[in-house]
Amino acid sequence: MESSLFSKPRDLFLDVVNPRDYVQIDSVSHMYQSLKNSVQKPLKMILLFGKPGTGKSMLLHKLHHDLSKHQKVLMFDIPIVDEDDFLRVLAQRIFGHAPREVMTLTRFLEIAEAVSYADVPIVLLDEAQLYSSSLMEKIRLISDARAIKFVITLHKTDKEDVIAKEHFQTRIWESIELQNASADELKVYVQKKLLKANCFDVANMFNDKNMKLITSLTKGNYRDTNKLLFSLFSLYYWYEENHPTLIKYNALKSKWIEMAAIHTGLIRG
Amino acid sequence: MVDIRNLERRWLKYKIKSYAPYVGAVIAVFFVFLSIAYYSVDTQESESTVEKEQLNIPVKESSSTTAPQSDESSAVLEPSMDFVQSFQTSTPSTQIPTAPAPQNTKPLQQSIPLPKVLNVPQSASIKASPPAVSPTSADKPFSLNRNESKPDIESVERRFKETSNANLGLFIARYHYDHGNYSEAYNFSLKTNSLNSNIDESWIIFIKSLVKLGRVEQAKKTLHLYISESNSESARSLLDSIERGTFK
Repeated sequence: MESSLFSKPRDLFLDVVNPRDYVQIDSVSHMYQSLKNSVQKPLKMILLFGKPGTGKSMLLHKLHHDLSKHQKVLMFDIPIVDEDDFLRVLAQRIFGHAPREVMTLTRFLEIAEAVSYADVPIVLLDEAQLYSSSLMEKIRLISDARAIKFVITLHKTDKEDVIAKEHFQTRIWESIELQNASADELKVYVQKKLLKANCFDVANMFNDKNMKLITSLTKGNYRDTNKLLFSLFSLYYWYEENHPTLIKYNALKSKWIEMAAIHTGLIRG
Repeated sequence: MVDIRNLERRWLKYKIKSYAPYVGAVIAVFFVFLSIAYYSVDTQESESTVEKEQLNIPVKESSSTTAPQSDESSAVLEPSMDFVQSFQTSTPSTQIPTAPAPQNTKPLQQSIPLPKVLNVPQSASIKASPPAVSPTSADKPFSLNRNESKPDIESVERRFKETSNANLGLFIARYHYDHGNYSEAYNFSLKTNSLNSNIDESWIIFIKSLVKLGRVEQAKKTLHLYISESNSESARSLLDSIERGTFK
């Protein structure tokens, strides 16, 4: 049933974060390398920030995937907003200690002091903008005590510059900003992703004109690109089944790219 | 499941919307060009009409003594023939003596030679005079007969009010200066200067009028300023004559 040329590419662009789907692009690769270097330094807190869809979560998952082979790394991709729960989960999963009493910061630091690791454990916090100020303050104190090294990701919005936030203004030891991709980077991203899945015919359908149009529609945002291409390959799948003569295999149809953009809400039809 | 039909309809709507500003811009540019073309044609027509009118001032109302025209243009003024009509009742026929055309004639500065009119030989007719005036060889400059009478200058003044043509202003200022109406000459040369400050003769008439009106100091001051701006030779010689007291 899944003999369609476009069903596999369509599923490739489902918006899920999987470190195995990580695509090496020059700029992202550079960012990742600098992130890895920062983690090796005796820094206490590292901030990874950027607009939604710039690949922060993917980079954090990739880092977790790579570092967990060598040292104690804990990933919080869904924030635990309750302070007691947060400290309790940290104490249990990092230090293997689950006290019955209420977990206070002092108690947590006592546990951390009692258990010593050769390398400072690393905790990766995704979507850190969802944590309360009070919990962020505790996280800062834990990192100041060098009990745990934190790598956190934050959304950078136009209204709010996260760097200016009180917690990070003086406490950030390293910050890395992720940005949207250019047309060339996006082409590499799409083609590498397709080639990795052996979708050679479909990868060859992307020309520069197509990529310029896709970049202008998505503004180089990886999440929007994934959504657009998922929708585009769904259209191709439909045309392949219903009007196969309309498909040209040497290039993508601009009309269908725009239709996919309308379907995903990137443009208004 | 994707509703392709609906999506295609929405896409068509999107394309129409996206092209609408360009179509609008093209139409706007077209209309702008159209209006510019219309305006330029209209301006050219009005300019040519004014030029024609200027040329027609003397020709239109000239008497039968008008000399044949040639391409080389230089104007020779002849006195108005209107007043001759009044003599025709007492003298059966009057011939107007015609002087040969001077090379550097200043058309409006020439005054009407009234005494000569009174001494004309009685046997000659007015109509006989033009052949004597008209140039026979190509080397002779083109003669333009001009009829200056009060209704003429009024119509020119009216046209000057309508068109604000600096050349007409100069014409009127010159006329009034030549006729001793120095305040009018002052006014019209002032207007002409405000329309076109590069007409040397207009400035000269303006300053001469000032002198004639007794405002010598102001004339000198203006002349100094004008010389510093234009470096005009005629202005220098005028200043020289005013300072020496030889200006009349």
